[in-house]
Amino acid sequence: MNKIDNQQKKATVIQIAKAVLAAFMGIRKKSDHEFDAETLTPIQVVIGGLIGGALFVISVLLLVNLIVS
Amino acid sequence: MAAVHGDAHDHGHDDHHPSGIMRWITTTNHKDIGTMYLWFSFTMFMVGGILAMGIRAELYQPGIQILEPELFNQFTTLHGLIMVFGAIMPAFVGFANWQVPMMIGAPDMAFARMNNWSFWLLPVAASLLVVSFFVPGGAAAGGWTFYPPLSVQGGLGVDMMIFAVHILGASSIMGSINIITTILNMRAPGMTLMKMPLFVWTWLITAYLLVLVMPVLAGVVTMLLTDRHFGTSFFNAAGGGDPVLFQHIFWFFGHPEVYIMILPAFGIVSEIIPTFSRKPLFGYSSMVYATASIAILSCFVWAHHMFTAGMPTVGQLFFMYATMLIAVPTGVKVFNWTATMWRGSMTFETPMLFSIGFIFLFVIGGLSGVICAIVPIDIQVQDTYYVIAHFHYVLVSGALFALFAGVYYWIPKWTGRMYNETLGKWHFWLSMFFFNLTFFVQHFLGLAGMPRRVPDYALQFADFNKISSLGAFGFGLTQLLFLYIVINCIRSGEKSTQMPWEGATTLEWTHLPAKAPYHSFETPPVVK
Repeated sequence: MNKIDNQQKKATVIQIAKAVLAAFMGIRKKSDHEFDAETLTPIQVVIGGLIGGALFVISVLLLVNLIVS
Repeated sequence: MAAVHGDAHDHGHDDHHPSGIMRWITTTNHKDIGTMYLWFSFTMFMVGGILAMGIRAELYQPGIQILEPELFNQFTTLHGLIMVFGAIMPAFVGFANWQVPMMIGAPDMAFARMNNWSFWLLPVAASLLVVSFFVPGGAAAGGWTFYPPLSVQGGLGVDMMIFAVHILGASSIMGSINIITTILNMRAPGMTLMKMPLFVWTWLITAYLLVLVMPVLAGVVTMLLTDRHFGTSFFNAAGGGDPVLFQHIFWFFGHPEVYIMILPAFGIVSEIIPTFSRKPLFGYSSMVYATASIAILSCFVWAHHMFTAGMPTVGQLFFMYATMLIAVPTGVKVFNWTATMWRGSMTFETPMLFSIGFIFLFVIGGLSGVICAIVPIDIQVQDTYYVIAHFHYVLVSGALFALFAGVYYWIPKWTGRMYNETLGKWHFWLSMFFFNLTFFVQHFLGLAGMPRRVPDYALQFADFNKISSLGAFGFGLTQLLFLYIVINCIRSGEKSTQMPWEGATTLEWTHLPAKAPYHSFETPPVVK
């Protein structure tokens, strides 16, 4: 009953990355969010979130190492 | 928030239910189980509160007055364990049981029998914790974080605590699976994920966090158990283990646990503020994204609890930066609540007062959290009363105030009766005054160097401790007023209407009669 209506549209990697980045910031425009809801699948969001989490850890680590060196 | 059509149905024929004690023992009804969760958590809140009164009575003046140091340590340990695992967490599960099915238009929870079991495990665990005071050696006394080596050395009370934590963890995991399945599979037609009330969203994300971290807690207490009784040395340096390993594993559970206790509070406040501002929630999708963000980031910050345990500079900086970044999505939420109120047609009934109190005081707790995240400061304030003040601002004026707000907001729907508004406002203002009297001065005590978990202290701390203790006694007594208000509401409150709050828009208000019937939404509503 809760299937996404519009299955035809496919999200690009950039769109997934933007949605995950928005989630990390906690800020999202309504129109962008509605577009996300139409095109993104839960699996894409989960995989995007995991990659985003890994990138977050790596980038903070790189920053820390840069400062310490 | 979601537009719905259709009128409230006559639910009178749905209101039959078993009676007597067996109703409560065998029930699979989400409302009954929710009620039991809420009464259980209030009972444990009173037990934990009595322990807090004991702690503050001992600290009223320097010297040992009424509690021997060993017993004092048991009081602090069990106060923390009971409040976290027995009061706050079950209270939110009680809210989830009552509200989630009604807010998504489902007839009940997905796994109704497992729901019954999830609840009835709790009194067993609570009994283990309380009875442990009376076994040889007394209750666990190594702090609510039960760090080894103290927790390896303790007596039978520690084993009882470990068993209690196992049981509570099992209960939480079952409850979470139930909530996830209910939300994902049982929403009314038309209620897409992004039309769900924010309380439901926060609980969905919280439930995932619980499933993620409760097994970690179960694992670490099992390692503790095998270290105690089966000759392993996970946390014993003499046997090749490492006591700091315990801290890492514990806090990998413990920090997400902080958000487990606050995200549903965010959800409750996000329902109440739009209702009493008579405006939709500002930035609904941002709020959902921010909640997800907080949940993800909460898994990367655990070691800020152990900056003084020994850590390379790179590790300290990593956890410091990650912790400070988590303030961003939390700040987004605070801005959104404020923007929701901005130019709203606001009224200040008790639920709204507690919600505004929540925002005001939670920001203070969040700010002191960011201060504690800074390594050089944390090294100074670690294990002082500054930290006690910080986390009580987050957990009492954060989680507990939101719970009070939620009870006042939904009790008309739960009971069909209104609470006494005047007394409710007294409850808020007295809680506000005494809470700050108790905990604000603890910032000063901490900055002046008073350590936590001590039954006695140096003379220069005497005045602030006396103020704090007086505040604590006042705060404790004020909660008896809350009990009176609730009982008075149930027994003789004025009859409520279907929509006592004109700004409310969620399904339980728009579709169900004044008192939610025993069985609701057997035919799901259609959400547009």
